[in-house]
Amino acid sequence: MPRLKARQDHLRISSFFAWLGYFFLVVPSLVVIPISFSTSSEIAVFPHRLSLHLYREFFHSSNWWPTTVQSFRVATLATVLALIVATPAAYALVRYEVRGKRLIHLVFLSPLFTPVVVIGLGSYLYFAYLGIGGTTLVLVFAHAVMISPFVLIAIMAGLRHIDPTLETAAMLMGASRWMIFGRVVLPQIVPALAAGALLGFLVSFDEVVIAYFVTSPVSQTLPVKMYSAIQWEISPVIAAVSTLLTASSLVISLAISLLQKPAWKAND
Amino acid sequence: MIERRDIDGDGPMSTTAVSRQTRDLTAVELAHVNKRYGTVAAIVDVNLSVAKGEFVTLLGPSGSGKTTLLNLLAGTISPSSGRICINGHDATAIPPSKRGIGMVFQNYALMPHMTVFDNIAFPLRVRKVPAIEICRKVQRVLELIQLPDVGNRKPRELSGGQQQRVSLARCVVYNPALILMDEPLGALDKKLRDQMQLEIKRLHSQLGITMLYVTHDQEEALTMSDRIVLMDRGRIEQIATPDELYFHPRSTFAAEFLGQSNLFDVRVREISSFVGLTSEFGPLRASLPPFAVAEGGSAVAMVRPENMSVLIEGEAPGVLNCIQAVAIDSIVLGGMVRHHLRLADGRTLIIAELNRTNRTRLIGGHNVRIVWRAEDTLLLR
Repeated sequence: MPRLKARQDHLRISSFFAWLGYFFLVVPSLVVIPISFSTSSEIAVFPHRLSLHLYREFFHSSNWWPTTVQSFRVATLATVLALIVATPAAYALVRYEVRGKRLIHLVFLSPLFTPVVVIGLGSYLYFAYLGIGGTTLVLVFAHAVMISPFVLIAIMAGLRHIDPTLETAAMLMGASRWMIFGRVVLPQIVPALAAGALLGFLVSFDEVVIAYFVTSPVSQTLPVKMYSAIQWEISPVIAAVSTLLTASSLVISLAISLLQKPAWKAND
Repeated sequence: MIERRDIDGDGPMSTTAVSRQTRDLTAVELAHVNKRYGTVAAIVDVNLSVAKGEFVTLLGPSGSGKTTLLNLLAGTISPSSGRICINGHDATAIPPSKRGIGMVFQNYALMPHMTVFDNIAFPLRVRKVPAIEICRKVQRVLELIQLPDVGNRKPRELSGGQQQRVSLARCVVYNPALILMDEPLGALDKKLRDQMQLEIKRLHSQLGITMLYVTHDQEEALTMSDRIVLMDRGRIEQIATPDELYFHPRSTFAAEFLGQSNLFDVRVREISSFVGLTSEFGPLRASLPPFAVAEGGSAVAMVRPENMSVLIEGEAPGVLNCIQAVAIDSIVLGGMVRHHLRLADGRTLIIAELNRTNRTRLIGGHNVRIVWRAEDTLLLR
């Protein structure tokens, strides 16, 4: 069986390169984890003594904690806003044949193709012109725009999964459009809504470019604070923050992948 | 079949209607209904009237327009022209949610996120029926479909047959003017299908609800229907009772779609109390058709395989139609035996006989005489 052996070798080599790729991609972000357990006096990739000193500093310092809360607030509000806009849009795009549907779809996805710098600068100039520049609201709007394609894609995937005859059946039983949407469609796409919301939250929470453009020192978010911390003060706390962010992103990503399987199909 | 009973058993709902005009006895009326998609005609000038309490089947090959017709009635599509009346009211412009129609789908269309109870309660909740009433009605229909204990389960925990019964219950519970069924048994296996056919018929006769049933399965149509609407390429080919349709098909399409048939090209020789025909196999006699025939005109004559028999050696044909054929083979199907024979023009003839001792099979290559009664010969348009 020389051919089979050749194929096995081939597989082994390609999986070796795949692992090398993962390693290359992941190691730089994992490096912060050991650093985050250093003591304040020593900053090393492999610290001699482990300590939670940097974490303590993060939670107690008046520098870091308010920006974390701010990031939470912005990400939550932006996600809610994106859900409100994207859910009806996704339903219309999946269920109805409207003129120019592809164009509308493209417009909804356009924040994905627009460079974030452009969204950042555009938001900065536009909201400054409106006279509300630098407020939290501006960042919420800008982030809602940026994350809505992610939310839209997740919800559309969920909608394509559910059977449209259920809606026809509900209609024939006398249900109004609102009732069909609220009692038949929404309950079935809860996993997709949750996945979209988590993804949107994650993207907004980590986002630095737009936030850097439109925030003022009072509305600063965590990633912006981290960025300026690198520039102005070489604080080792940033390693602890990064580790926490990585851990929470991992948890959220796992939650999203679990949600990809609708709850009522879980034991099929 | 005029009465229509509430599922609560509150008694006949419209017995006084008997004295009124026939309009009141009509559940569905389609007048000159057409449906075109661009240049493609999906439904061509359909006229159909269904009586209250009737079980009518739309039968036809795929693409014959039967599902389109059902969707026109449901209101999910609207006709290009023509009028649709439901319960005496013009429903052509009424949206589906206001038509008061029930529909059973091939894939059951039960809400996966709701329990069986909530599924059946859904149309009642839409109608803002009080909660106690809902409880009572749902329990009642669950007993009616002989699944009294499944209320708390989710649809996916039930078998296909059970799910379809729940979906029937969901229709029956709000007493719609009409229940439409789109190949409801298509996803079930043969044995379950037979069982469900009886179940649906039982519900139908028990509740007296008008049902319109779509199927491509001729056997199902023959078993279940009061009347069959045979469709082909968007047109109604024939509307008749199962017996009528089987033994008196009006066209070659009807004859060939339902069961097996033997067809002969003939020429009309004389018309008296019967029709005298000439054929390649000698003179034949046929019953008078319900349409006009002209002497000297050509026609197609049809005989069902079970109306023909093989003449035993030495017997005289008498006044029967009698032709010569060469035996090919015989297939024994338990109580029935099916003979295949070849006619002089090369066509194959099928005869179905009851299987009796000592006269089961024909020997291939032997010449035999085939006989049948004149009234079993049908002229087709």
